Amino acid sequence: MLAQYVVNGVLTGGIYACLAVGFSLVWGVLNVVNMLHGSMVVLGAYFCLYAVQQLGTPLYVAMPLACLFLFAAGYAVQKGVINRVIGQPILITLTLTFGLELIVNNLLLHLFSATPRSLVTNFGAIEVFGLRIPVVRIGGMLVAAILTVLVYWLLRHSKIGRAIIAVRMDRHAAALMGIRIKQIYALTFGIGALMAGAAGCAMALIYPITPMMSGLFLGKAFIICVLGGLGSVPGAIIGGLVLGLVEGVGSVTLGPQWATSVGFMLMMLVIIVFPSGLAGKRGYE
Amino acid sequence: MRVAYAMFTAATLCLLNPTAGQAQETLRLGAPIALTGPLADAGVKSKQGYDVCVSAVNAKGGVKVGGKSMKLELVEYDYQSETNRAVQLVQRLINVDKVNFLLAPYGSGDTKATAVVAERYGTPMVAAAAATASIFDQNFQNLFGVLFSNSMITNAEVAYYTKTTPDLKRVAVFAMNSLFPKAIAASLVESAKAKGLEVVYNEIYSPDTSDFSNILTQVKSLKPDWIYATGYTQELVQVRRQMNDLGIEAKLVTMTAAPAYPEFRENVKALAENVTTNSWWHQNANYKDDYLFGSSLKYNEIFRERFKRDATYLEAAATASCETIAMAIEEAKSIAPDAVRKVLREKTFNTFYGPIHFGKTGQNDVNAALVLQIQKGDLVVLAPEALKQGQLNVGFPAKK
Repeated sequence: MLAQYVVNGVLTGGIYACLAVGFSLVWGVLNVVNMLHGSMVVLGAYFCLYAVQQLGTPLYVAMPLACLFLFAAGYAVQKGVINRVIGQPILITLTLTFGLELIVNNLLLHLFSATPRSLVTNFGAIEVFGLRIPVVRIGGMLVAAILTVLVYWLLRHSKIGRAIIAVRMDRHAAALMGIRIKQIYALTFGIGALMAGAAGCAMALIYPITPMMSGLFLGKAFIICVLGGLGSVPGAIIGGLVLGLVEGVGSVTLGPQWATSVGFMLMMLVIIVFPSGLAGKRGYE
Repeated sequence: MRVAYAMFTAATLCLLNPTAGQAQETLRLGAPIALTGPLADAGVKSKQGYDVCVSAVNAKGGVKVGGKSMKLELVEYDYQSETNRAVQLVQRLINVDKVNFLLAPYGSGDTKATAVVAERYGTPMVAAAAATASIFDQNFQNLFGVLFSNSMITNAEVAYYTKTTPDLKRVAVFAMNSLFPKAIAASLVESAKAKGLEVVYNEIYSPDTSDFSNILTQVKSLKPDWIYATGYTQELVQVRRQMNDLGIEAKLVTMTAAPAYPEFRENVKALAENVTTNSWWHQNANYKDDYLFGSSLKYNEIFRERFKRDATYLEAAATASCETIAMAIEEAKSIAPDAVRKVLREKTFNTFYGPIHFGKTGQNDVNAALVLQIQKGDLVVLAPEALKQGQLNVGFPAKK
């Protein structure tokens, strides 16, 4: 049974990581706590739901389309709105994204209602040495892994990625090197939104979706970022897995009602012991 | 000159407040409704139920009060699923909007919080979605609940299942940490123990829970005959899917009360088969209603025509709560709270929802509990005997 709990924790952690990668990137590079992230995940989920169920688009086509749509929307929001206050204290950008979140979330509620909707109901499970592993959750983990590898590659090996890293390290020096800071901000926010779109499609496979889930998604992403380290892409994976496992341990030992509280308690502990997160670099906390 | 001045003042006031002149002709029902926030799905359903009632009453000419007819008007506000906001809005409805009567917000918790305000101002409030007995034992004089108590439901369930499934011995119960889901689970535990069943698992989970794999792994290891889960639709859809992921088997799986809603079946499709549930109402009960709709089936037809789906107990209870107020006013021949409250306390209202009699605590004490199961995609009434549509299918998951 212990092995099954570990498998449950790892699979749940994989899904959590999927939610947090984009959020972590935006927070780390732009120093913006993007309160809109949860609603962007939900928007990605509804995009896939609509494309698959109403238009009959295959999921493997719907997911890249959702990513493109979210990228364009994220790029436009950063360029047209957030860039105007990007130099202001973090509270201003936080308030701005919170306001945008309210608008987007209420629009989603108006368009789709609060009735839960699901993309697929049953993918089945595989059994290995008596352990049940749901196929859909393996898919969620794969999406998280692919996203992480892609972003890691982008940041390490592309010109845009190096520019993003440069801006993250010292935006004034980056500007002196000829990097167009606001353009990089918009691109970074767009990439964060793109990853939220991909995560949303994965969530639509796993959860019954309602617009009300934005708060849940945002809350998990927030904890994972603090656990893993701001701006650290592998940190999002580590944070997600740690959170999934710790919630599982909390559920079994203290009772299910404490599972989510245990996550927040762990976050506070990590802030005290490792202010930069488990995989973050000093100076980005 | 004074008369002219008084007439001028009255005319000006009427122009400034066009509803002032007709205030006596309109009966205002105040309703805080959760149109946004976590309870939005249920809130929208409640509103649909109220709207059907208001339209039907006004279509028949309004509420007859002492020789004149008064139109019904629903004064509603979105309380965003926040209890504090619901309390503030009830105060506003009473003091600013001057509503005559109140319809309670969704759920036992919010009803309990707002009932304190209704009590303070002496405004009768009818609750459509509150079944927990602890709300009604506060000695409130102005709170009335259409749903009968949780224990009537759980006693009916345990009695039916122990009778039809004699080898039912071990039950696992888990409930969302919210007033109603927790209360009905506690009631089920009591009913089960009273019938000699062994409760092998009894836990509550946080409303923020999105993953049930660890709860279900524990439940699976205990090999219960009967799994009883409570929560709202989204959580129970996820529970059902993860039961499938973990290959859980049992004689019975009961969920309160999501399977009564069509969206549960839409979200789990074939996995819904054989899931049992309970309900306070189903159109097939076909109660007679001489005041407004004719019968339960006719009510459902009207509802379906307007909203393109069948009504569940939630919309029906919302309609019935509004209907009982209208019936009580006509019986009292007055809109005075004292007179209407007296009728609400004494009369039995025969509605499409079934007989409603607000007992000593204000809660409906007419037991009409239904036991239901999803069979071939449809909700089938298993009990009571008089309304029975099919036999219980034992075995979960359903054999293909």
